[in-house]
Amino acid sequence: MPKKQLPSRFYPVKHEMQTVEAPAEKISPQQRAETWEKIAQYFRANSLWMLNYCTGCCAIELPLVMTSRFDMERLGMMPMATPRQADILLVTGYASLKTLRRLIYTYEQMGTPKYVVAFGPCAVNGGIYHDAYAVLNRLDLYLPVDLYIAGCMPKPEAVMSGFMKLIELIESGKATGWKDYEQRYEWYKKNQLEAVGEVFIHDEFHE
Amino acid sequence: MNWLSLIVSLFLTGIAGYFIARIKPSLGAWIAMAASCAALLLVLLGGDALPGGPAWGLIRFEVTPLGWFFSLLIILVFSTNGIGSLAAKGRQHREPVYTMLYLFALAASLGVFAAENWLALFIFWEIAVWSSTFAIGLGNGRKGSVSYFGMSLLGSLMMLFAILAMGSAYQTFQIREALTTALQNPGPALMVFILMLGSSMVKLGIMPFHIWMPPAYTEAPDEFAPALAGGLSKLGAFTAFLVSAYLPISGFMGGSWRVKGLPALSYGLVLLASASIVFGTLMAIRQEDAKKLLAYSSAANGGYIIIGILMGTSMSVSGALVHLLAHALATTTAFSVLAVIVRQTGTSRMDALGGLAHRMPLTFLAFLTAILSLVGLPPMLGFVSKWLILQSLASQGLFLPAAAVVFGSIGSMLYAFRILSTVFLGQLKPRHRALQESSPGVLLSLAILSGATMGLGVYPSGLIQYTAKIEASLGMSETVQTAGLSIRGINGNLNALLIMGAFLIGMVIAGAIFFKAPRSRKVDLMDTYTAGEFIYSPELYHYGTQFAAPFERIYEKLPSISRVYAALASLTDDLGNLVKYLFFSPMPSRTALWISVVTILLIWGEVL
Amino acid sequence: MIAYQSIGTALGMALFAWLMQTGLSGVDRKITARIQKRRGPVWYQNFRDVFKLLNKRSVTHGWIFDLGLLIALAGAIGTAMFMPMAGIIPLQGYDNFFMITYLAALGVFGRALSAGASGNPLAAIGVMRGLTQNIGYKLPYMVLVIVLINYYKTSSISGIAALQQVQGWSVLKMPLGVLVAFISLHGMLGKKPFDTYLAPSEVASGPMVEFGGKYLGLLNIAHEIAVFVEISLFVNLFLGGGATLAEFLLKYMAVYLLSSCLGAVMGRLRVEQVVRFYYKVPIGLTILQVLLFTLLYGGVS
Repeated sequence: MPKKQLPSRFYPVKHEMQTVEAPAEKISPQQRAETWEKIAQYFRANSLWMLNYCTGCCAIELPLVMTSRFDMERLGMMPMATPRQADILLVTGYASLKTLRRLIYTYEQMGTPKYVVAFGPCAVNGGIYHDAYAVLNRLDLYLPVDLYIAGCMPKPEAVMSGFMKLIELIESGKATGWKDYEQRYEWYKKNQLEAVGEVFIHDEFHE
Repeated sequence: MNWLSLIVSLFLTGIAGYFIARIKPSLGAWIAMAASCAALLLVLLGGDALPGGPAWGLIRFEVTPLGWFFSLLIILVFSTNGIGSLAAKGRQHREPVYTMLYLFALAASLGVFAAENWLALFIFWEIAVWSSTFAIGLGNGRKGSVSYFGMSLLGSLMMLFAILAMGSAYQTFQIREALTTALQNPGPALMVFILMLGSSMVKLGIMPFHIWMPPAYTEAPDEFAPALAGGLSKLGAFTAFLVSAYLPISGFMGGSWRVKGLPALSYGLVLLASASIVFGTLMAIRQEDAKKLLAYSSAANGGYIIIGILMGTSMSVSGALVHLLAHALATTTAFSVLAVIVRQTGTSRMDALGGLAHRMPLTFLAFLTAILSLVGLPPMLGFVSKWLILQSLASQGLFLPAAAVVFGSIGSMLYAFRILSTVFLGQLKPRHRALQESSPGVLLSLAILSGATMGLGVYPSGLIQYTAKIEASLGMSETVQTAGLSIRGINGNLNALLIMGAFLIGMVIAGAIFFKAPRSRKVDLMDTYTAGEFIYSPELYHYGTQFAAPFERIYEKLPSISRVYAALASLTDDLGNLVKYLFFSPMPSRTALWISVVTILLIWGEVL
Repeated sequence: MIAYQSIGTALGMALFAWLMQTGLSGVDRKITARIQKRRGPVWYQNFRDVFKLLNKRSVTHGWIFDLGLLIALAGAIGTAMFMPMAGIIPLQGYDNFFMITYLAALGVFGRALSAGASGNPLAAIGVMRGLTQNIGYKLPYMVLVIVLINYYKTSSISGIAALQQVQGWSVLKMPLGVLVAFISLHGMLGKKPFDTYLAPSEVASGPMVEFGGKYLGLLNIAHEIAVFVEISLFVNLFLGGGATLAEFLLKYMAVYLLSSCLGAVMGRLRVEQVVRFYYKVPIGLTILQVLLFTLLYGGVS
């Protein structure tokens, strides 16, 4: 296979750090916060640790993305063991009634800022499982999705380009799903409760 | 004020305490506390220049720097423990006896440390043994006091035999004179040395003699266990210091085969102490009961003290003295904390506890200092002593004992973390939600003890200078040196204040980064990563049993010395049965047989 | 008395330790990637990771969780402040081996305390595994260093390094011992096959399971400094330190990169296998080495 020319966006060295000129006049605290936020966004965008919550079949594409052919570590991305350490939640496929509760639990354990990437059509409208009794059709009713990656399943190239898009979104400060989740928490909670229902028995052997 | 009147008044207070506590039981603990605190004040103010007082026949006292050091240590343990056990409730029926025995044990220990001759020492030693035996018996269970008494009897017999041997051979009981005379005759000297050291090893719980420690520490009353572990077991170290200073092995076995400059006998005993360290550590790792864990760790720590004493260099002896103090402070703290826990929860099994740090944070901090000191980490006192001992081991080139010491101090991380994590960290059991922080009295005693551990650990120069004075008074040719704030080692210096400074600078940097970064959200301990599984039962979630299972599996077939003792006991039992069968049988024919045998023997004797 | 200047040098040493080791571990990631036929991240990726972590809002499990972490980082920084490097000795006369080992152990204990306070059983299991392994690799390592201290008659690390410049490296005197020390170092660095306590899919990264955001960031800083201390100790004690800074750093990098190359091509052992391995091979070799060393360089009288 011929060596593929990667878009320049792949080489993180090209990033220009947003630095402030030493100004003569006083900087207001708000300006300073904005500048700091921009610097922080650079770091966030270029060091994405992911938690692959493998709900469905799209997960099979991730090993390809991680290993030598596509190598997402080039983008500073790494798989992580626990939600506490991770920045991105990958929902690889459909969310069923059983998995959604875990998905929410896991998402709420992650530290902010955090991003959700949904794979395939199942997360958009249920895909081929749209009429299955246990599959929830729209993921963004329950969790704020920052990026969808199309394809059933998305090819590794698509996943890579999706991740690059995510990096762009984060760096330009447009990936704000987690803020939305905090602001419209009641709305999300209502949807979640409608979908998965209430749990009555609280022990380790029931839901 | 002199030593005799101090001891006599402690004994009298003990008797008075018995009668007062019979009338009003709650006063017993106050009397024990007040008497021991007054004694602490007197001994502190009097210093080691306190006169011994007039002689009472054999009972004569003479305060030496070594004796004063030990006295201060034991009174510190007894008085802080006295303050701490004021809050103990529910021992009304045994309060009078307990008060009396507590003060008797203290007075007798003071007698041991200042005795001028061996007989007085032995008498007080026995009083201490007997009063602590009965005090242990006031707890729950009889096995503890029985095994304590049995092993102490062995030790006392060894000591008595050595004393009488010296007395009959040299017509003197004076401690220093008897030992230095014995030094001239290698034959008796060896016997005296072995017996004396044996008796102190019994008290310190060195390996073949450690079996009394776990049952005694577990079954003793909760408020007596700190005094027993921190104070009374240190009696053994006192005689070990005396014997090895005035009757050094190199003195009577000088020409014999040496290993790395140590006489072969010393080396053998050092190896025994090393085995005690390794064995104690291994056993402590696999205990499920917090008190048993600490008991085995005491057996291991006794090993360090014996190694330091037997090596006999200025640094090692100083290390042994400091370790003695460090271990006494740490164990007393740990057992006092366990007493609080047992009083409130009714158990010292580690898997039944957990998360207590959230209910009793100050107690947890005191326990943390004790545990850090037991492991030997800076800035605690345990680090200074470990450093001194390791330095002298390294400079002597005793690699096998050094390996044991290293193993002991790394292995102690495992059991120290275990006790800390299973008792204080993790999820609180729902049934322990109503637990309270320790009472002010306990907190005061814990503050004194952990303050001493940390204060002396940061600024050990004064202590080291005093150990140098003890070494000089024991007649050692060279003593440990200090220069300004640092301890001069043989091949390196230690400045504990500098270490603390570096650590604090690190703490400032870490804190600056920590508080500059965004504030964290506080979550419950049940909100942890569970791979998406939902959990509801804190009592099932806390990890406390078989903590180091992969490690324990390696040595699960470790032979136990108590089996040897059990075999010995059953052998004695069989022998007794045989005698009973032969001589005390109800069958007339057997009696007739023995009568005729004796008659024949008598006649035979007459004829010949 | 200690001058302010030496404290400045000491702080500089700690800062240098972090900067160099964080950079080097980025290089390590790059090399691992190359071995696996990948491109790998940029060499300064670890700096980006740390700054990102420090900018995240995370969760805390109570004050012991925080305190343990601060102790961990303070222990690491404090240790690095004493570490001599080539001719640079920050706190002259106090770079005692035992002191450094025990101060480093305080950092390890702080980390364990914090992990235990997180309340996750996986963290407690991870700590238990780590401490069990710790017995395995620290024991032979410390015994070998005690042998060296006995031989060189000093426990000052810079002193031992300086003596080796004259008398030849310790590696020539105790080749087996250096092998053992390297195996121990490999374990201390937590490289495969001895990373049982970190096993990401078995115990979810063990002690670090509940650490996120600034907690993980600080832990990362503490880890990098601890790695610096461990490798510097190895270089100073066994490879003769360095006459110049360049020589020292060359040796340092050689040791670290050898360890990371080995780690890249190995699988992970189970915890029992790790412990059994340490109790068979390194301890056996250590006993052999101590006997040989005693016969060759110090007699039994």
